[in-house]
Amino acid sequence: MNAGLLVNATICFAITISSFAFAWVLARSEDEHTDKSKPALWSLVILWSLVGLTYLPTTIRMVAAYLGRENLDLMMYSLAAIPFSFVAVPLVFFILYVIVGNKKISAYISLLFVLFGASYLMLLFTKGVIGPFVSNYSSLFTINSDIAINIYLMGLFVIPTAMIIGFLLLIFLQKMPKHLRYRTALPLVAISFVFDFMLTDMITMVDVMQLVARIFVLIGTVQAFLAYFPPLTLQEKLGIKKYQYELYDDEDLDIDVEDDLDV
Amino acid sequence: MSDDIDVELEQAVAEFYQSLGIHQGPGDIQYRLILKVLGRNEGKITEFSEIRKYTDQFADKGSIGSKMKTVFQLEGLVEKVKRGGYVITDKGITASNFLKDSTAFYKKNKRMGEIIERMP
Repeated sequence: MNAGLLVNATICFAITISSFAFAWVLARSEDEHTDKSKPALWSLVILWSLVGLTYLPTTIRMVAAYLGRENLDLMMYSLAAIPFSFVAVPLVFFILYVIVGNKKISAYISLLFVLFGASYLMLLFTKGVIGPFVSNYSSLFTINSDIAINIYLMGLFVIPTAMIIGFLLLIFLQKMPKHLRYRTALPLVAISFVFDFMLTDMITMVDVMQLVARIFVLIGTVQAFLAYFPPLTLQEKLGIKKYQYELYDDEDLDIDVEDDLDV
Repeated sequence: MSDDIDVELEQAVAEFYQSLGIHQGPGDIQYRLILKVLGRNEGKITEFSEIRKYTDQFADKGSIGSKMKTVFQLEGLVEKVKRGGYVITDKGITASNFLKDSTAFYKKNKRMGEIIERMP
């Protein structure tokens, strides 16, 4: 029993709360979105809910490890693996839908990632896991199947990450207003942050690395929130603050033009 | 080079440039269509009637004839080789290439606009 595990549990709980809160805030903003952006919005809501659902059992898992309850630890690991396996699905749908604009194509390709997730889960449950290895900071498991790790790396990690990087490149290569660039690029960077560190978290066999990965997942969640709801100071710093103005009367404008002509 | 000239696309591109305050050149549907027909017939004589096939729905014979004289002939984009017959010059080819770039810019801008529209 040591405090490091409780710190880990607290970080997991913070990720859970912030992910659920972000998903809820996004879902509530549905009315502000057009029909074209709603599918992407809902895929984001599902994505953040899955992040929350992954870290809720993980929080309990860390507390179980702290209390020395190995059975509960294993049970929670298995439970967390279910939402985790499907995190790539809404992410792939989101990127494809935003780029291609076709719901059907995006849904069909996302289905492929459901298969990746399902086969990863199947191997995880049939081949079992080795662990837990409880240390000062963490409780670690390793999957007893090389194929599962390969599916995990290729299907759930490399392809979605490549999609995010490709999309980011597409945005950076375009000339567009600063606020639009911020609005499109920052959520992607945040999603990439969370997604990549979640995968690092699940695969690592180094306890400190797991803790650091979770801290970065938390940072990514906060970053995503800031991307959608930037505070005024951040808007000023980034130069994306919308100037508050009222339209100038046209008649006055005519007079000014005449005055200029007189000069 | 494709033989078809997509009049609707050219109109959409012209309207896009007009919305940016560019009413001449890439924002002028008559200019676009004339140059498209001339560019398609590079190295050949373009008949005035062929140009009118595309421009009639936007302008009358007089204004197209006037544009040919005051813009295309005056600026050296075409050379008149017979009555109602024109040949595009190297400068005209440059203008035609610029027009292609203006279409590509419109498409890129439209695609990006749609992507941003779909971003929640």
